Amino acid sequence: MAAPGKALTVGEQIQQLNNARKMVLENPAYYDKIVKGILPIIGPSSPIELRRWGAEFLAESLATPVLSSRDKENLTVAILDTLQLLVEGPNDDVLVFKSSVMAAASAYPIALRWIIHNSYHKESWEAMTAIKAKILQIWDTAPTPVRICCIKFVQRVILAQTASNGMEQKINGLDVSLAMIPPNHPLLDPRLLEAEAAGLLDRMLAVLQDNSSDALLVDATLNTLAILIRTRPSTSNRILNTVLGFNPLKLANSPLTPKTKVLIKSMEKTTRILLLHLHKRDPNNPMAGRIQQHIERLSRSRNEIFDDANRKRALVQPPGADYGEAKRQRTDNSAPQFHARPWVPGPQSLAAVFTLTNTPGLDGFDATQVPNELAAKITVKALATTSPQLLSQAVDAVRFRLRTLYAAAPPVQPPALNPDTQPLGVDEDDDDGYEPDYYVAEDTEQILNKLDSAPPEEPVGQAADASSALAPLGPFKLPPPPLVDPTVAIKVGQLASSRVFGPLPSLEEAAVRKHKAGINRLAASSYDRDSWLTLITRMATRSVAGLEDVSSGIKAEDARSALDRPQMSLSNMIRELLYNYVLEDWRRRIEVAVAWLCEEWYNDQVTKRGQLDAPLHYEKWALRLVDGFLNYITAQDKVLTRFLAEIPELSRALLGRLKSVCGDPTKIQLVLTTLLYLVMMRPPVREIALDTVAAIWLEYEEARPLASKYLIKWRPGFIESQQTGDAASSVMPVAT
Amino acid sequence: MDHANGSTSSQAPSQNEQGEEASTFRLKFCTVCASNQNRSMEGHLRLAQANFPVISFGTGSLVRLPGPTISQPNVYKFNETSYDSIYRELEAKDPRLYRANGLLNMLGRNRIIKWGPERWQDWQIGMPRLKHEKDKGSEGMEGGVADVVITCEERCWDAVIENLLDRGSPLNRPVHVINIDIKDNHEEASVGGGAIVDLANSLNKVAVEERDKIGAAAFDSGSAVGRSGFDERVPDVLAEWQERWPNLPATWTLAWF
Repeated sequence: MAAPGKALTVGEQIQQLNNARKMVLENPAYYDKIVKGILPIIGPSSPIELRRWGAEFLAESLATPVLSSRDKENLTVAILDTLQLLVEGPNDDVLVFKSSVMAAASAYPIALRWIIHNSYHKESWEAMTAIKAKILQIWDTAPTPVRICCIKFVQRVILAQTASNGMEQKINGLDVSLAMIPPNHPLLDPRLLEAEAAGLLDRMLAVLQDNSSDALLVDATLNTLAILIRTRPSTSNRILNTVLGFNPLKLANSPLTPKTKVLIKSMEKTTRILLLHLHKRDPNNPMAGRIQQHIERLSRSRNEIFDDANRKRALVQPPGADYGEAKRQRTDNSAPQFHARPWVPGPQSLAAVFTLTNTPGLDGFDATQVPNELAAKITVKALATTSPQLLSQAVDAVRFRLRTLYAAAPPVQPPALNPDTQPLGVDEDDDDGYEPDYYVAEDTEQILNKLDSAPPEEPVGQAADASSALAPLGPFKLPPPPLVDPTVAIKVGQLASSRVFGPLPSLEEAAVRKHKAGINRLAASSYDRDSWLTLITRMATRSVAGLEDVSSGIKAEDARSALDRPQMSLSNMIRELLYNYVLEDWRRRIEVAVAWLCEEWYNDQVTKRGQLDAPLHYEKWALRLVDGFLNYITAQDKVLTRFLAEIPELSRALLGRLKSVCGDPTKIQLVLTTLLYLVMMRPPVREIALDTVAAIWLEYEEARPLASKYLIKWRPGFIESQQTGDAASSVMPVAT
Repeated sequence: MDHANGSTSSQAPSQNEQGEEASTFRLKFCTVCASNQNRSMEGHLRLAQANFPVISFGTGSLVRLPGPTISQPNVYKFNETSYDSIYRELEAKDPRLYRANGLLNMLGRNRIIKWGPERWQDWQIGMPRLKHEKDKGSEGMEGGVADVVITCEERCWDAVIENLLDRGSPLNRPVHVINIDIKDNHEEASVGGGAIVDLANSLNKVAVEERDKIGAAAFDSGSAVGRSGFDERVPDVLAEWQERWPNLPATWTLAWF
């Protein structure tokens, strides 16, 4: 249909071509025919209008979403030669070249895929390679509108020649990637293509790396990067680092013309949107934090730049005179001057006497509306910062006013005055008869008191006489506190004691245990858990040592739980809590128990030396602790050995508790080993330990094999004496 | 056709008339607002009246129009509801209210421009638009692409750019995306419509000038003299336009379809 073009004018030809295009748009089936039909007309020798139309049409045809990739393969292969001619032709027209590069960008991935599957068709790939070479050659020198299309072309090359993560849409060849190329392809070497892509990426990012201010190139580049970052993982870090290093606001250092404003805004916003987009699509990216920081920084800087511009404009408005005056004031004001409001003689309100300000608005301000605490704060702050000179000037001003007032109205005042105020010497109203300082100070105080209740309109004369009401104020007494019921007091006391344990869970273990500190160490020198526990144990043992009620102390020995007793001392409350604390996790808190018992023992020794009849605590709590552990003990709990080895004193009663454990045969070995350890390592208790072993031997059949082994070694002759049947007497004392 | 603060821009239309005589080339436009009802449609109409090929879209998730209270908007689906059906529905609901707040007037205008509100995100860029012959400004838009997208609100611009990044620019076609902040009421939309036409005329004038420079760009030889192009001059045009319209802050970028 375009064939009879020879006789037609260019305008008519264009009209025909437009009709042909309309047909294609209506029915894509015609694409193949029509595109091939117009190729001869739009060649490099054709008139410029036809070449423009043709190049544009090729770009449109290769980009259209209507055609499938397969249809486009045919089209692309058919077009490549013409496209090569257009690209390599005279290059005299921006629009022809621009459209040709756009067409080439769409053609590249399609051609690459076609050649992957049709490696015999060398010519197509050669044409495509030639087009690529030409575009890369003119990339840096072409007019900017062509350069942006070169950028896009290069982006498509990179997209096609790097490995994909498969996240892209499968349209228009976006999904063509390095992985599609077989390693043994006769024409394509994946490694070379990948290297080429990496090089092109570097070249493409150079515009950002050089921090170019050509907004068109910068925007065009930034707006092609999203899909690379998202779908070509090998490029992501390289690109992101470059974008994060790019400063779109660099231009702001030059004078802000309307055009630079447009450019700065454009580059900043384009950068920010790209980063926002990436952040939204992949919030878990390891660089997400940096991206977000960069986004925030960009917004802030932009606001600063454009706000600054606004502020500068505002500064121009105030006339220069004001500025100069302000400056002069600052230098001249080395001695501050106080300007009180001029005083008008005649009846004045009390408030007016103290109103020194010249600002009319402040007159109407009712200071009584300000809450007291706030007023106090303001006063303190104000006094702290007021210069003494200003303050004394202000005080003088008020004094002067009051003096003139009293001087003006002496005849009215005496009868109104309360006798209580007479010692102030007001009666001697002659000017030379009074001491201004003393008089005014007192009077000021009274007036201030009065100010609290008097409406501000009240004249000074009446205000003064009301001050008499203030004189007979008696001393202020707080109401007595409510009586505390002893049981309530104890409950509250327990609550308070329990709070002592509050910090324990949150405190850290001492990081490094300083075993070598030795005798010089301080018990609680750091705020870790050990120190706190030391504090608690000492509170339990020493806080009321020697102050305890003797009688109640004796009774306490019998009490099963100290908590049941009404008159419980602070120490016992803490002891009870400490006991519970240890038993909560006794295997790990055995050290706490040992430390505590050491403190108890020491305290008992001190007590014994002083009062004879004071209550002792060590034995009682040691027994309770052992009873507590033994309920839960298992055959593996070697801590029992350790506990008994470390606590300062062992009694028969204590070891007797061990004997009862042997009722469970699984624990016999533990108990006997523990006793053996005591026999070997603690000579002072060797005898009572051996007595306990002997008692176990006697009582428990299952324990005999092991017990007899120890007894043979440490108490030779015992078993024989037992077996003869008459030597039980030596064991009897142990059996409690 | 001229507008409120148009005193400074009064030269633009006359220049355009000269341009029209000189060339028939017209840039293709696309206007975008939130609901494709007020601002983008005002722009659509004004650009169509100025003989520009134009299409319009909304970026919102739904078409939202004011209802009887602020918490009861009238909500419609994009692409599925016609302006006419919305018009008739609102007229049946409360003719006085919707006439008084200008909605019926606006919908009455919209239904003679095109069938119904379209959503930007659902637009298949590059799909031939041949079934829109009755739409105003459809002539020249058959290819389904635009040279310039004008959004009427910053978040619409953001949505458009983000969406373009999402699509991955399969068409390899550059597009200028310009935001003009226009408040969403009838008066501002009308002023904004005038500003959009002013911008379109200025851009088109530059595009025509560049098209007329046949053979002037022998860039292959390496000479850098007189080198420029339409794309390159867009920021200049926008800066000049911004001086004329200081109350309509604009943002621009070059993106890809």
